[in-house]
Amino acid sequence: MPEGILCNKLPVTSKEKLDALLADTRGRQYYEEMEQIEVDVEKLQNSLQATLKSRLRTWLEICAHCGYCADTCFFYLANRKDPTQVPAYKIQSTLGEIVKKNGNVTNEHMRYCMDVAWAKCTCCNRCGSFCPYGIDMGVMFGYLRGLCYSQGFVPWELKIGSGMHRIYRAQMDVTSEDWVETCEWMADEQQDEWPGLEIPVDKEDADILYTVNAREPKHYPEDIAEAAILFHIAGENWTVASNGWEQTSLAMFAGDWEACQMQVKSVYDAIERLRPKRVMGTECGHAHRATVIEGPYWVGREDGLPPAPYLHYTEWVAEALRTGKIKIDPEKRIKELVTLQDSCNYVRNYGLKNVTREIMSYLVEPGYFVEMSPCKEYNFCCGGGGGLNGIGRYREQRNMGLKVKRDQILATGAKLVIAPCHNCWDAIRDLEEVYELGFRWSFLKPLLIKMAIVPDHLKPQEEEE
Amino acid sequence: MYQFITGPLLWLAFGIFFVGLGARIVLYIRGLNWRLDRVAYRAHIGQGIRGALQSILHWLVPFYSEGWRSKPLYTTIFYIFHIGLVVTPLFLAGHVLILKERWGITWWPTISMGLADVLTIAVIITVVMIAVRRFALPEVRILTTFYDYFLLLITVTPFVSGFLAAQQFGDYTFWLYTHILSSEALLIAIPFTKLSHIVGFFLSRGQIGMDFGIKRAWKAKGGFAW
Repeated sequence: MPEGILCNKLPVTSKEKLDALLADTRGRQYYEEMEQIEVDVEKLQNSLQATLKSRLRTWLEICAHCGYCADTCFFYLANRKDPTQVPAYKIQSTLGEIVKKNGNVTNEHMRYCMDVAWAKCTCCNRCGSFCPYGIDMGVMFGYLRGLCYSQGFVPWELKIGSGMHRIYRAQMDVTSEDWVETCEWMADEQQDEWPGLEIPVDKEDADILYTVNAREPKHYPEDIAEAAILFHIAGENWTVASNGWEQTSLAMFAGDWEACQMQVKSVYDAIERLRPKRVMGTECGHAHRATVIEGPYWVGREDGLPPAPYLHYTEWVAEALRTGKIKIDPEKRIKELVTLQDSCNYVRNYGLKNVTREIMSYLVEPGYFVEMSPCKEYNFCCGGGGGLNGIGRYREQRNMGLKVKRDQILATGAKLVIAPCHNCWDAIRDLEEVYELGFRWSFLKPLLIKMAIVPDHLKPQEEEE
Repeated sequence: MYQFITGPLLWLAFGIFFVGLGARIVLYIRGLNWRLDRVAYRAHIGQGIRGALQSILHWLVPFYSEGWRSKPLYTTIFYIFHIGLVVTPLFLAGHVLILKERWGITWWPTISMGLADVLTIAVIITVVMIAVRRFALPEVRILTTFYDYFLLLITVTPFVSGFLAAQQFGDYTFWLYTHILSSEALLIAIPFTKLSHIVGFFLSRGQIGMDFGIKRAWKAKGGFAW
């Protein structure tokens, strides 16, 4: 069978195709078809020819096979030092083979590549920080994911996810109308407690354009309300866009570069249309990676930067605390052991380690903040990055990998883990579900709302009768 | 014979060595692509060069990077091996003598015979340790191919033969010729194998340094050297 009905090399571009995929529970038929589809060798060869340039070729070629990367990988550690989990082995046995055979590989090999690229690597890039040559296997697995996607070998959820981006410009089926309605609903709901609170939509020339993760309107609308409350307290002149509001990219996890470009372009178009002074995203790591760090390259911006300065949520929080826009009630500071999860995407891969620690200095009573070991740029991935949290086929491998984060958190003795990243937050929640250890986890927003001093003029007026 | 292998053949070996490595450098840099690599090399060249130098320096100086500190024993072996590999052939009095005789170069520094012996023995011992590590540790064994042992062999042969010749062990001429020919073979092999990391190290580290300096860690002030 050259192509399956559900599993094939074509991207999902229509609602009918998307619905057909969604109707295939857990991708049963999809994965069955995958065992039969043909590898388009010529297409693979052309891709290699066009995109495998000196950086990747050199990395594959000069790897000294020294095994230095072994213990840098949390999968290797979590799987009792299984040699097949050594990053260099994982990439040499997958992408390395494809290159060596110049694309003449079998269906079986492509399925092996898929299983390794998504279930044995979260593209956290930690190994790259320890390799003497600076060989970044996270980058190479990202590349391999692109090859796999183009041949139809991509996990079912991510085929759907990248299709969502193509159809809705969002990782979930949230339309522009749904989004604007959610914003209105959230603003209305807060009026008793926060009179005058607004979620301005499409306001031009605002100081801040705020972008979110589609999960928020879909499943956690209170997150949008919380963001609005904090902007309200801080007195920010802000807005959201009716189109181009979604910052995340399951397309990036899928290796669907065309969909990545479409998604990011929708955000950049909103920036150009509304001309905000600055743009700011929600507490999400990969959304920042996609829209701020990699996005400019997908759309071909030669300066490698988004059209306006684009902050991570933590950068704004640190600034708001520093400048006193948000003041913390000293009585309400956290007085139990608390630790912080460094997101790979904006700490190792963007350098925001000091920003989150500055926030901790305001929120946590001195003496109660405990670092994980290792931390900052060398922190381990939460275990659910790179899309792994969302792939049913690899749930077991994901849960196994969580053990490293579990042990890191347990070693701190913390009762609360602050995780300003959707994927980290999810992974730590699931970790608690699987291993039942008795700690709590939180984003920054709910903590800030609990601790912030509310200026008198924003408090609800007592009714005088 | 001696005249030929230390004359035209030596020239040829050095020619291939330098031209080959030069070609490696040119091809590598020409193959960089800002859009595929997703690094805006040209737009932020200053930041990029700073990042590249930081990255190279941290991994050139022993124990300067988190990576080198993470495995102190192997790092020590690794540095002894590489220092011996580079210093011995470049500054051995016997080699420098050839420079003087052929080109009249007299300013080239030399090391003492004693130090040369120590470094040569160190190279041989560390090669054995690296080879043992290759099959003793499962995480290294799984990566190791015949090619890796072959490279260790062609790297150590000039040292073993040179040492035996210098010690006048057995047939001097045999060891001397083996030393010269195996060294020339090594020089020729370097550009065509992973041993090209003589330049590849600097290129690869420089590139990742630019990646982080320009893009991935430009907001991290100090400390992180990838």
